[in-house]
Amino acid sequence: QAPIVIKFSHVVANDTPKGKAADFFAKRAAELTGGKVKVEVYANSTLYKDKEEMEALQLGAVQMLAPSLAKFGPLGAKEFEVFDLPFIFDNYEELHKVTQGPVGKMLLGKLEGRGIKGLAFWDNGFKSFSANKPLKSLDDFKGQKLRIQSSKVLESQMRALGALPQVMAFSEVYQALQTGVVDGTENPHSNLYTQKMHEVQKHVTLSDHGYLGYAVITNKKFWDGLPADVRGKLEQAMTESTAYANRIAKEENDAALEKVKASGKSQVHALSVAERQAMKKALVKVHQEMASRIGQETLNAVYKETGFDPSKL
Amino acid sequence: MRILDHLEEGLITFLIGAATLIIFAAVLHRYLSGLAIPGVQTWLLSLNFGWAQELCIIMFVWMAKFGAAYGVRTGIHVGVDVLINRLSAAMRNKFIVLGLLAGALFTGVISALGATFVWENGAHYAIYKAFGLSIEGLFEGPTTPDLEWPTWVVYAAIPIGSALMCFRFLQVTVSFVRTGELPHHDHGHVDGLDEEDPAVPGQLDQVFRMNDDLHPRIGDEEKKP
Amino acid sequence: MSTAIIFGLLVVLMLTGMPISISLGLTVLSFLFAFTQVPIESVALKLFTGIEKFEIMAIPFFILAGNFLTHGGVAKRMIRFATSMVGHWHGGLGLGGVLACALFAAVSGSSPATVVAIGSILLPAMVKAGFPNRFGAGVITTSGALGILIPPSIVMVMYSVSTNTSVGALFMAGVVPGLLLAFFLGFTTWYRAKKFNYPRQPKATWAERGKALRESIWGLLLIVIVMGGIYSGMFTPTEAAAMSAVWAFITAVFIYKDMGLKDVPKVLLSSANMSAMLLYIITNAVLFSFLMTHENIPQQMADAMIGTGVGMIGFLIIANILLLIAGNFMEPSSIVLILAPILFPIAMKLGIDPVHFGIIMVVNMEVGMCHPPVGLNLYVASGITKMGITELTIATWPWLLTMLVFLVLVTYWPALSLALPRALGMVV
Ligand code: NA
Ligand code: NA
Repeated sequence: QAPIVIKFSHVVANDTPKGKAADFFAKRAAELTGGKVKVEVYANSTLYKDKEEMEALQLGAVQMLAPSLAKFGPLGAKEFEVFDLPFIFDNYEELHKVTQGPVGKMLLGKLEGRGIKGLAFWDNGFKSFSANKPLKSLDDFKGQKLRIQSSKVLESQMRALGALPQVMAFSEVYQALQTGVVDGTENPHSNLYTQKMHEVQKHVTLSDHGYLGYAVITNKKFWDGLPADVRGKLEQAMTESTAYANRIAKEENDAALEKVKASGKSQVHALSVAERQAMKKALVKVHQEMASRIGQETLNAVYKETGFDPSKL
Repeated sequence: MRILDHLEEGLITFLIGAATLIIFAAVLHRYLSGLAIPGVQTWLLSLNFGWAQELCIIMFVWMAKFGAAYGVRTGIHVGVDVLINRLSAAMRNKFIVLGLLAGALFTGVISALGATFVWENGAHYAIYKAFGLSIEGLFEGPTTPDLEWPTWVVYAAIPIGSALMCFRFLQVTVSFVRTGELPHHDHGHVDGLDEEDPAVPGQLDQVFRMNDDLHPRIGDEEKKP
Repeated sequence: MSTAIIFGLLVVLMLTGMPISISLGLTVLSFLFAFTQVPIESVALKLFTGIEKFEIMAIPFFILAGNFLTHGGVAKRMIRFATSMVGHWHGGLGLGGVLACALFAAVSGSSPATVVAIGSILLPAMVKAGFPNRFGAGVITTSGALGILIPPSIVMVMYSVSTNTSVGALFMAGVVPGLLLAFFLGFTTWYRAKKFNYPRQPKATWAERGKALRESIWGLLLIVIVMGGIYSGMFTPTEAAAMSAVWAFITAVFIYKDMGLKDVPKVLLSSANMSAMLLYIITNAVLFSFLMTHENIPQQMADAMIGTGVGMIGFLIIANILLLIAGNFMEPSSIVLILAPILFPIAMKLGIDPVHFGIIMVVNMEVGMCHPPVGLNLYVASGITKMGITELTIATWPWLLTMLVFLVLVTYWPALSLALPRALGMVV
């Protein structure tokens, strides 16, 4: 009998944490179902690009995706923009309380009305700022042109810092940094390193100010139509893949930071407790500005889980 | 019909011109915001051009879809006619009609598929909602990331543009069958571009016909009467 | 099997003479419908998202800029300047033509546009000066090809889009080969003119040269704006295209005043017409490459090619031949969009630099534009000179041969293309 084919499409290279995790899932899915399911991974946007993969999933042209969390706002699930908020999580522990707890489940549930079933959250990591000067205080940010991906939250974050946000495709960033079209950007360390951006940036500031992550999603109709035993096995494969994805994402981010430091191409700065606190305080207004988009309820649910208290800043 | 022609031409003329100006303004804005001019910088930083690229893309996609329809009328779409040019005139004409009808078929199918896609991707929801009909079980379509316009409105370029293109193909077929004439993008025609005889503003017409010539209709030269 | 069906269908449809874009689209549509489970609506989606990329928007901008330059008197002033500099050597006006084409190429993104802009002014002048028609036609047809090698270049934008290679790096990589090819073509022109003792122009005084330079400076400034702007970080390559359109408009309407404001809508409309045609081909070619990926064709072809054990040199020969043959039937944008997805992965596996491979493809396209049976430059030149294609082909052969030698040089000497972008830190 022909196996059930799952086309898993993503927009990054095979050797990134997400790419590796997708391949890992493909392997485990085949093993656990005894070959009843064949997961075909299409990396590097070869099948569908960033801007069209959601629609392709809804049409049923692909079965599985792992878009970055910023992609769910335009889909109408504005609650997901909570993940883009600056300083919403202080560390992985707080983050995983949300992504692997009831709040995460609630968020994934919001997608069902759109024909999408959310399966898991996969980490990429926490972001640092990079530029040609250390970005530690608000004065440092003034007038800096900083690249962001399309996102109202990130735009508001950059404006709150006094910088000029520039929406730009990821593929253009290296050259834009190199020539100076933009002054800096924000990235998890693995992106910074693999895209060689540290070679064209003089300073990296370890701010851990924001989070970049993905949600693994599937077409709801397809998922519900799978035989129950197969679905169970796939859920198990997904649980294993999530643990694997988060582990290697963390490892690769740490390793990338070490390599950036070792390269000597950019200077790495830590933020003092006071500096981080000051930046956090300046950015909490972004939470308030965005509360009406994201929904106060969602925001409070996350606050409650992580123990964040804006009034105590 | 004249009104439709003018509308088509006016729309694509506007789209290409306006998109150019928007990007020009956005670049100027970004460049000037980087200069530390007191007061001015703060004001410039407060302006938001984050939507410029997205709007430019949307305008150009619309221009491309309607321009493609206009292109059928001006005979700009290139084909490989090395082979059919070797056939007898009667056979060749059959192939030309076949090609035109294939164009009508493709654009017609795309128009229908595009309409379905747009309908399912938010138009159904939006229109039913606007008329107060039941939206039970329907979902609101996505929006564009920067401008936050409903994507179904943006994607509507496909069914509308393709339908227009289909209509143009049929129009050209009918006129070809009747008169034996095809719209012709004349690529080699150059008048008045002589060093001693510079182009005169307002009389650009002749100069204009030689224009672009990126993609002539292949094999034109051999079949010129 | 599916490879044979897909390409068979495409070739048959194309040979009926229907527009290339339509044959690409119909191939995809019928294959998806007949042989796959892909929801057919995704074709409509792809038709929008296929060009939904800011980098592609450089194409309409460059076309618009080129039109303003051609009709705004920039070309004719460049010719005057070029002729004042080199006109007194053997082959005077011909050499001026090569130089003028190189200058115009540095502000325009397309080859045929360069042939039109320079050729339509220069060819009549050459005939008047006593050059054989053939000589002028040969010079302009081939020198016009510089249009896509010297940046900016629409074909490079296409390559960049279909392979995710940095367009800024490609532009920089085109500079040195472009200048070298201009030199080669100039040399052939000079040599033949000397051999047949063609007329020379009176030597211009430095005052005359200065005047010609001053008059053409507004057009020449565009070179500084585009390349300088990209390199200095004022703007991205796409934005540079928009800036050059605005600059060309200002130059044509307000500085040279060769065009009135009321002519502007016409320029816009005709640029939109041309851009839309190209964008329509692009969307359909994107659709086609989606089908190839879906059917795993590039991967299979890469494996088959690698499996035969051809090395880098063998592959490059095959690529050259394939591209030259393709150049006989299609125009460059379609070729790049259809063949790049197939050839690129193989090139990568063989360790060829993506930027270098882009330049190889561009030079192949250039040669293809100048040789029969189908060559865009040939057709454009034939329109200008009223010469038949066969006659033109004979006219162009010395330069065509020069270009083939140059093609070999570019193909097997990567440093020629890569040294400049490397020095600028754009290629690692
Ligand atoms: Na050029
Ligand atoms: Na050719």
